[in-house]
Order: sequence, then structure tokens, then C-alpha cells
Amino acid sequence: MNNENLKFVIVGHVDHGKSTLIGRLLYDTNSLPEGKIEEIKQLCESLGKDIEFGYIMDHLEEERDQGITIDTAQTFFTTKKRDYVIIDAPGHVEFVKNMISGASQAEAAVLIVDAQEGVKEQTKRHSYILRMLGLSQVIVVINKMDIVDYDQKRFETVKKDLFNFLSNIKIKPSYVIPISAKNGDFIANKSGNMNWYQGLTLLEALDTFKTKENANEKPLRYVVQDVYSFDKRIIAGRVESGIIRKGDRIKVLPSGEETRVKSVEEYLKNVTEAESGKSIGITTEDKLFIDRGNVIVNSSDLPAITNRIKANVFWMDRIPFKKGESLRFRCATQEVNCAIEKINKVINSSTLALIAEDASEIKNREVANIVIRTDKPVVVENFNTMEELGRFVLGREDTCAGGIITELE
Amino acid sequence: MIILAIDALEYSLVEKFDCNNLKQEYYGKTDISEFSEPRTMVLWSSFMTGKNMEREILAKGDKEMWNTKIELKDTFFNGFKNPRIIDLPGFNYVKEHHEQERVLLKNYFDAKTDEEKDKIRKAYNNLAFEHHRRIKQEFSAALNDDHDLLLGYFSVADVVGHLNFGNRTMMKMIYRDLDEIAGSIKDTYIVLSDHGMEKLGMFGDHSGYGFWSTDFNELENPRITDFAGLIKEIQV
Repeated sequence: MNNENLKFVIVGHVDHGKSTLIGRLLYDTNSLPEGKIEEIKQLCESLGKDIEFGYIMDHLEEERDQGITIDTAQTFFTTKKRDYVIIDAPGHVEFVKNMISGASQAEAAVLIVDAQEGVKEQTKRHSYILRMLGLSQVIVVINKMDIVDYDQKRFETVKKDLFNFLSNIKIKPSYVIPISAKNGDFIANKSGNMNWYQGLTLLEALDTFKTKENANEKPLRYVVQDVYSFDKRIIAGRVESGIIRKGDRIKVLPSGEETRVKSVEEYLKNVTEAESGKSIGITTEDKLFIDRGNVIVNSSDLPAITNRIKANVFWMDRIPFKKGESLRFRCATQEVNCAIEKINKVINSSTLALIAEDASEIKNREVANIVIRTDKPVVVENFNTMEELGRFVLGREDTCAGGIITELE
Repeated sequence: MIILAIDALEYSLVEKFDCNNLKQEYYGKTDISEFSEPRTMVLWSSFMTGKNMEREILAKGDKEMWNTKIELKDTFFNGFKNPRIIDLPGFNYVKEHHEQERVLLKNYFDAKTDEEKDKIRKAYNNLAFEHHRRIKQEFSAALNDDHDLLLGYFSVADVVGHLNFGNRTMMKMIYRDLDEIAGSIKDTYIVLSDHGMEKLGMFGDHSGYGFWSTDFNELENPRITDFAGLIKEIQV
């Protein structure tokens, strides 16, 4: 099953042309329902204007509100190479929450900047959030080139300004493209308006990006849910990534003991392997001490075993976190107590404004960059290399925050 | 002094579509609770005379009401040397045009089939937009003339709204266009509507408050009859 699609988000200042760009992408890839574009074109003409692509978004939103479009937050288009999903980020709060909780994962981002207005505060905040969410496939588009007479100098100035900022926060865009979403320059088609630009169009650039790896192709992570002793000792769990096969040499973490898979047990089935996403059981050749929360891996390509984790969390509980409080840390089936050792930064998820540095509390809907110390070692990974063991929740009785691991020590 | 008189400009949509030029510095709802119903002719007549004209206008009856032509001397426009009023109901609006719209509206509701309704709706919208383009042009030209009072009356939000208020994209485009018109004014201006509009399925009906905005004065819940006095004061 190769149903490849790439999910991306478009971020940037609210007036820098996001909806026009989305409208243009849908138009240039013939992804609009028949008749819609004519309707909008006609309306624009009724008002004595050229067509404005931004209204396409309004039209789609309206259909969503009326329940005509099934999907609520995603817009699709197709190139020759693959399908694309534009993830709507109606508000930062929802976007950040969805990214961190895994509800909708963008694999790439397009950062849009107005050629005339240049880099604004909001441009910086949005860039920062990309950094925080670990998005590394980034395209910068300098929009509204038509307004600045397709001037190369202006393009270079804005580009330089932006790069000064981006390098500070360690974002390295893969491409910087001068575009006019309004006129369609360098979105799907190259244009003669900017002969000084020899690079890719936005769609060509997107086509070079990688989609998330198929989980089967990643290293094995088998997360233990329980151990049952019937006539044989069955270790029940879920294959989060990779494939587990009969005869595989495996390592149990955190103990580090090794053995081989004796059999793969699937209810009412006779199998010898199980791929990612499956909840199954295995038996082992040696009788090792294995418990819920353990992670079984192949001997090469190991995750980290640590009790100190740097992470970004989204706090979603009315009761704020105050430093000193002990929380439950849950990652896959692992569950241990933890303390937040340091709150490096707290950010307002709505305005993305910095609230505090070296803070002592995190309130509802705030995003924080923190250092966690667990009371026992846990098996975890950087979110960017292995999402399955890079995402966790923090809880009291109920979950009060979701987080992604950014660095391991 | 420039007045943008916009029929059925709805407060909540000005907010929703973020029409900054229509909003200006100070904006809000007008109080029209002294009127039994939000009727266009009654409200604009009361606006220009500075007094509640409900009884007088209603006494003319449903049909004759639309022929109302208040004389210049009875309006606050009279206090200006060179006023220019464009298409205002109850004063100098192009009666034939607006009558044609009302006929189509009635035909629409009388029509039996969806096909017929659809055809009438299109003709109705086209008529309204065509008129809007004409008024827009006239208003824009008048901005360059030397008038101490210029009033442009725009009916598109009301007319199109009646049959299409549930079409958000269409309404947004109209509001954005009106906002651009406001943005093209270089002098001091007041934005005023007779009433707003509320959604009834696909349709729109008059709401029980109007809209106002200025960039020089915070008015608290003004009545539509307050503006005659207010504008005269500024003039002095």
C-alpha cells in the first residue's frame, strides 16, 4: 500500500497572502469542484474586479460549515508526484495542540512573507513555532512580488532580513522562492516576470520533500503491554514501528538483556511475523524478566535510556503546573513519576508571545520548553527520529499536558 | 464631510470580515428601538430630517411610501453650501431602479419551481451589482469635486442580502468592496446604516439596530435621528 501523501502547513503573518496562496494552489492544480471558480470569478466581475483567489478559501470554509465537505480541517490537491494535504491552522492554539498531541502532523511548512512589508513580528513567532515543533522541511515564499515590480533587489533584502532571524533560531529553509500568489508566478508555473530567478516553483520544491517514513521501514520498537503465563509465556504488546519476526535477535530495554523471538502469536492465526500497528504476542527462547513498559528492539539502532529529557509541552489543564509538583510521565506503555527540573521558556500559544524565561509555572494553553527528570530511566527517542517513542503525556489523575521530546541527555 | 450611507450594513459582519475602513476608530450599533419596525424609507427619512418620521411615512401607505421625496429645506443638508446627495431613498433615489428590484424580489417568492427561482435570483443579483457599480463610480467621481457635504447611498448589502445573506462568500466580497470604498475616502467620514441584517436560512431580514462609525467621536448607542444635529455641529 503506497498511498503517499505529504501534509504541510502554511504559516506567516495574517495579511501576507496565505488564503490567496491556498486558493492559487488549488486552482493551478485543478483541485476545485467544477463551477466553484466560475462562481467566484463572476462575483468578482460583478463588483468590477479581477478574480481574487483568497475567496476560494472562504468558499471551502463555508461548505465545511454546512457539512458539504466531509473533512473538517484539511484541504487537498494533487501533483504528478503525489497527493498533498494542507493542514489548516485556524488558530495557533489548535495547531500547536494538534501537532503536539499527534492529531494532525505536518511534515513540512511553507513560511509566507510579504515582499513589500517584509519580516514582521508574526513572521518571527511563526518561524519559532516551526522550530519548536521540530519541522525541518521548510520553504520560504516571498509573496506579492507583483507589488514590488518583481524587483530582485527587494527580494534579496527581505530574504537577507529573514535569514538573519532564521539562523538565530537554527532554521535553514530548503528553498526561498519569489512568488505572486495573485498572478500565479512560480506556484505551479514558472513565469517570465522574474528572469533573474532560476530556481524551482513552489510545487516543484514541495515535490522534493520526504514524506514520513513508512513505519515498517523504521527500526523495531515493540512496546510491552502485559505478560501472560499460560501453557507458554506470552509477551503481549504493540509493534509501534518496524517488523518483528520469528527468529529475530532482540534486546529488552531498559535491562539490555538479549534473546531470540521463538514465536509470533496472533489470535486464531498462524503467523511468523507482525508489522507495525499490530497488537500481538511473542514468546522468547530464553525466559527473561520482562514487564509492562519495556521496549523490545533489534540489537542495532537503539533508543536512549535516560532519566533526563528536554521537551516542548502544551499544557491543557485548568490547574496550572507549579514547580515542585510531581507528575506521571507516560510514553507508550511506560509510566513513571517525574519532576520538571527546569522551565526554560513559556509561550502564549495564541499570540506566540514569550511569557517568561526560567519560569516557575505553566498555565492552561501555554507552551513550555522544559527539562524533565524521571525517577526511573525510560526508553525514549527524539521526536524527529522516532515519533512513536518521542511523544509523551504528563498527568495527574488525568492527562494535563502533551509533549514532544526535542533532546536527550 | 462625507457620509457613507449603507443600507443594511450589519455590525456583526463588519466585525467578522474585519472591515477596518468601515469601522474607523469608533464604531457601534445605533438604537432604532423607537421605530415599530426597521423600515428603510422610514429610517433614512428620519435620518435626514433629524426627527422620527415613522407616522408620517406609514400614513402614505405601502405603495406610496416609496415615492417619498423630502425637500432639501426640510433636511439638514440644507445647512451646506454645495451638498451632493447620491441615490438616497426619500430624497432623490432612482425610484425606477429600486422598484424593479422589489418586483423581482416578489417574483422570486412567487415562483413555483427551483429553476425559476434560480433564474430570478441571478437577474436580481445582476441588477443590484450593476447598480452598485454605477453608484460606486458616481461616488468616486464626486470625491474629487468640491462639495462641503457628500453622501453616497449604497444599497447592495441590503438588496443582495435579502436573497443571499446565507452565502457567506458573497456577503464577504460585498463587505470587502464597501470597505475598499470607505478606504478610498481621504477626508473625514461617517459610516451609517439604517438597520442591520440577520440570517434566515439562505435569506436575510432586517435586524433591530443599525451601524455607525466615525474617527473623531465616541458615540454611545446613538439614535439615527441624532446624526443631523451631530453633523451640523461639526460643520460649525
